[in-house]
This record gives sequence, C-alpha cells and structure tokens, in this order.
Amino acid sequence: MPIKVLAIAGSPRRHGNSETLLDWVLDEMRKEKDVEVEKIALDEADVRPCKGCNACEILNECVQRDGMDVLGPKITSCHVMVVSAPIFCMGINAQTKAMIDRFQVFRSRKYVLKVPVVAPELKGKRLGVFLSTAGQDWGHVFNGAIPTVKCMFHVVDIPDRDIHYLMVNKVDEKGAILSHPTAKQDAENLARDVITEVRARLGQ
Amino acid sequence: MPVKVIGLSGSPHRHGNTETLLDAFLEGTRDAGASVEKVVLKELDYSACRGCNACHKDGECIVKDEAIPLFDKILDVDCLAVASPIYSMGITAELKGLIDRAQYIWARKFILKTLYFTNEHIRSHKGIFISTAGQDWDYVFDAAFPAITAFFNTIGFEYYDNIIANQMDRWKGVKNHPTALAEAREKGDKVVRAIEGIRQEAEAKGK
Repeated sequence: MPIKVLAIAGSPRRHGNSETLLDWVLDEMRKEKDVEVEKIALDEADVRPCKGCNACEILNECVQRDGMDVLGPKITSCHVMVVSAPIFCMGINAQTKAMIDRFQVFRSRKYVLKVPVVAPELKGKRLGVFLSTAGQDWGHVFNGAIPTVKCMFHVVDIPDRDIHYLMVNKVDEKGAILSHPTAKQDAENLARDVITEVRARLGQ
Repeated sequence: MPVKVIGLSGSPHRHGNTETLLDAFLEGTRDAGASVEKVVLKELDYSACRGCNACHKDGECIVKDEAIPLFDKILDVDCLAVASPIYSMGITAELKGLIDRAQYIWARKFILKTLYFTNEHIRSHKGIFISTAGQDWDYVFDAAFPAITAFFNTIGFEYYDNIIANQMDRWKGVKNHPTALAEAREKGDKVVRAIEGIRQEAEAKGK
C-alpha cells in the first residue's frame, strides 16, 4: 500500500522560508518508492475563514462551498499530514489560521455528532508534521502557534504523541533559510524518521 | 477633548458572546464620557498580509484596502479594544488577518526607525483584549496573548487589561454569565478615568 503524504504550504509568500523547509522534507520523502506526495499551496486553494455559525454541529458538513471541499477528504485519508506556516506577529499566519478554523467540521464530527473522522483502518496509523519559520530569534516565538496546531491535528485523529515539529527561528528575508547551518539536514532526517514510523505502523 | 475609544469586533458571528462583551465595555466607556466607535471587521474589505516585506523598504503597505484607513483611525485613538472569540486555541482569522497587516508599522519602528513612541505616549494609550471561549479550561486564552501583546507593542499601546470569559458552553452564553458583562462595563469606566488621570497629570506638570 502506498504511503500517502499530504503537504499544505500555508504561507502567502510562495517559495519562501517555510515552503523551502517543506520542500526539503518532501524531496527526501519522494526518494522512497512507496511514498506518494501531494503538495498544495494554501494561497491557491481558495479556503475562506470559518463563519462561526456552528451549522456543522447539525449538518455534519460546512455550509461554505470552496476549496475546503477538495482539501477535506485529502486531509482525512492521508497517512502523513504535513503543514508548513510562517509565524507572523507571534502567531500562525492568518491564512493558515483560516484553514485550521475550518477544521471545526471535523471537531463537530468527533465531539458533537460522534461519527468517525477517519476510516477505522487509518486510526493510530497517521502522523502529523508541523514545519515553521520565524524572523525573530526568540526561542518562544512559536509558543502562540503550537496550541492551535495541536487543535488542528487532534480533531483529525492525530494525537500529541504523533505530531513531529521542525521550527526554525531567525530566518526572515526570503531565502534566509538557505544559509541556516542545520535546517536542511534536520528536515531530511525528520522526513526519513516519519516515513520509517508510518511503515512500521502499517506493518510494511 | 473626550477620550477616544475604538472597539474592533473580530468575530465572524454578529452579536455573539464576544461582540456582546465588547458592547458592554464600550457602553462603560461611553457612560464615562468617551467618544466611541465600533468596527466590525467582517464588514470591512481587507486581505491578510502577503508577507512580501515590501514595507521593510519604505514603511508603506502595497495592499491598498480598508485596513489602511482603519490603522489611521487606530493610531488616532486613546483606547483600543480588540475583541475575538477563541477558535482552535487562537484568535479568529479575521482579527489575525488585520494584526498581520500591521507589519508596515512594525517596519517603521524597528527597521526604518522613522516611528518612535515615547513612554508617555504608550502609558496614555491603553489596549484591552476582549475574548470568550466555549471551553472551561483556564488556559484556553494563553495562545492568543502573544499575538495581542505583539500587536499593542507595535502600535504604541500599553497592554492594559483583559476582559475574558470562558465556559460559554456551560453558561449558555455571556448574557447568563454571573459577572462578565458587569465587569466589562466597569473596566470601560475605569480605563477612561485612567486616561483622563494621566492627561491631568501631564497638564499639571506642564504648568
């Protein structure tokens, strides 16, 4: 069975630091014959913010028809969900936050309607990866983003212990990550670790 | 001159818990004699920050939309109340979208150094964060604070107070919360009086 990797590049800036970090991870994963990678640039995916209407608690779907209709089934059927996002103003960038808020429909399924979010055969076999970059050199610059990222993974059945992180600070201007001493190597190591782990869980 | 107050409602949901709490705060400031304006972000036409960093060169945002006149207004008031419900442990995409757009003001301060707020300016400009959450966890607001802190810091406001109420699901709405609305009105009164006090102090010093 191929290992399906879904990657979402959440930055509004194409091919900037967080997306470069994502590409390093994906390039390493693509070297494996049993891995299928799909990458989506959120900037081109037409995902609008949540309206906060709570209709999904009754309808089991969102009232909005947009790019989330395409993204949703991919999110719930992949083995590895990778999200990359920059830190803007001490939090996750607004475009990625908009997508995460749309996970409300999964939350409604899981906690209100109590219906499965992912197929039973995928349960416990999915991993999440969060990649981030920030301009500030403070170590705590990612602290505001992490609880939101955890929410996102939790509601699609990826618990804390199955979330991997690679967060690189002190990279601001476009291309700054290219001269970072360890980021590329860290990304490649992470990619190999994640694929090894998913294979083990799938018994492959 | 009356104390000028602006309240930003960052919820996509009109007249919900957060906006009701903001309304109570604004009522408190109005009763204390302030001139008050409320802006509902979902009714404005603006996009999120593109992350292009063009503002790092000249301190201007290349996206010309309704965010820019709103920032002009924000920089002109004495008290700014920023209201958002907690979605997925953070502020809404609407409010985060606006906050991220303040990058050009940040660039003026920290890169171009064409903008500087004195300590006196910061002390007399008060920022208040207003929020509600369905969850009963006390830490449900924690991940929102860093972005709010950074925003007030960028625009030269002192982060003066929070008006936050969790357990909205338990109370079935802020209107049934035992203390939240009264607290919001009181804090509205208090912040206007604090700003007036600082003004009087400055006048006395001037004489």
